Amino acid sequence: MQQKKREIPTGMGKLPAVAPLANPYVPFQMDNPEQYEANLGLVRGTLYPGLDLPFMGMVNKKPLAKTPMADLQALGFAIQELALYLDTHRDDAEALELYRRYQQLLHDQRQEYVRKCGPLSHRDRTASPEYAWLNDPWPWEYCVNQED
Amino acid sequence: MFSYEKKLQYPVKIKNPNPKLAKIILTQYGGPDGELGASLRYLSQRYSMPFDELKGLLTDIGTEELGHLEMIGAIVHQLTRNLKENQMKDPAFAPYFVDHTAGIYPASAAGTPWSAATMQVKGDPITDLVEDMAAEQKARTTYDNILRISDDPDVNDVIKFLREREVVHFQRFGEAVQLLRDKLNQKNVYYMNPAIDI
Repeated sequence: MQQKKREIPTGMGKLPAVAPLANPYVPFQMDNPEQYEANLGLVRGTLYPGLDLPFMGMVNKKPLAKTPMADLQALGFAIQELALYLDTHRDDAEALELYRRYQQLLHDQRQEYVRKCGPLSHRDRTASPEYAWLNDPWPWEYCVNQED
Repeated sequence: MFSYEKKLQYPVKIKNPNPKLAKIILTQYGGPDGELGASLRYLSQRYSMPFDELKGLLTDIGTEELGHLEMIGAIVHQLTRNLKENQMKDPAFAPYFVDHTAGIYPASAAGTPWSAATMQVKGDPITDLVEDMAAEQKARTTYDNILRISDDPDVNDVIKFLREREVVHFQRFGEAVQLLRDKLNQKNVYYMNPAIDI
């Protein structure tokens, strides 16, 4: 979340100076890369400005409507993006710390969502006396995501 | 194991049904470079990966692709709701309608059913990861082409998100090749197949 001055510009990575022939190379993303916050990351499709490479300037600018579900989606997205980053940067302590902070935020947000809106999975316990799992709407239905 | 979360990775809310566009988008459900093939490719390739970073990355990206499959299904479903008679009879959609009504069937935009022949599991980690890099680029181009064809802002909002995910996945697969290479014979990374020879 905090940004440090970097010698290598965002969007540039590290390649070996000398390397074996007949091998594919993608520059390695530098440790502790610049990041968007979770909501903007979800809108852009990446947490990393350095990887944000839109087609013909077509960019999502509108922030998502502020709903309990959108908050959940933003936090879940940040964790997924950090997970993929950590899969190839397991020693980046700052990214790991951020991943853990988002896990805590998601944990709290998820509990609140389940209490207000019903279960997200069969493992969620709700106070409802009925079998709330079946309650419409399901995620692919139009009404579910309509702004209130 | 897998368990279902009753949410989409990114919201899908398509105001205006448009079955013609649905048939185009469907190609990312069951076409040659679509999300079904992506998820099955990565989740199948992971078994022969020799190192923990590679097992983790293929599991995590493969799982995300299943979420993308669901999002594409949601787009196609919302584009084909409340069909009117003239939409059912539209020559661009009638051939799909007669076989599948408004159900979601994994096929390409041209109607070819999904086939495992559109993907590979070679059982050699470098080979499989390089295929994965190519697969991400093919999916990106497909999303570029959808953005050229579609003028529905609700659809394009979701397509831009999915397209950007392909860029990120490509980066991670490229890094995975480097992590793998670091663990192999530096003079000749093709000396043997690390899936079965170490």
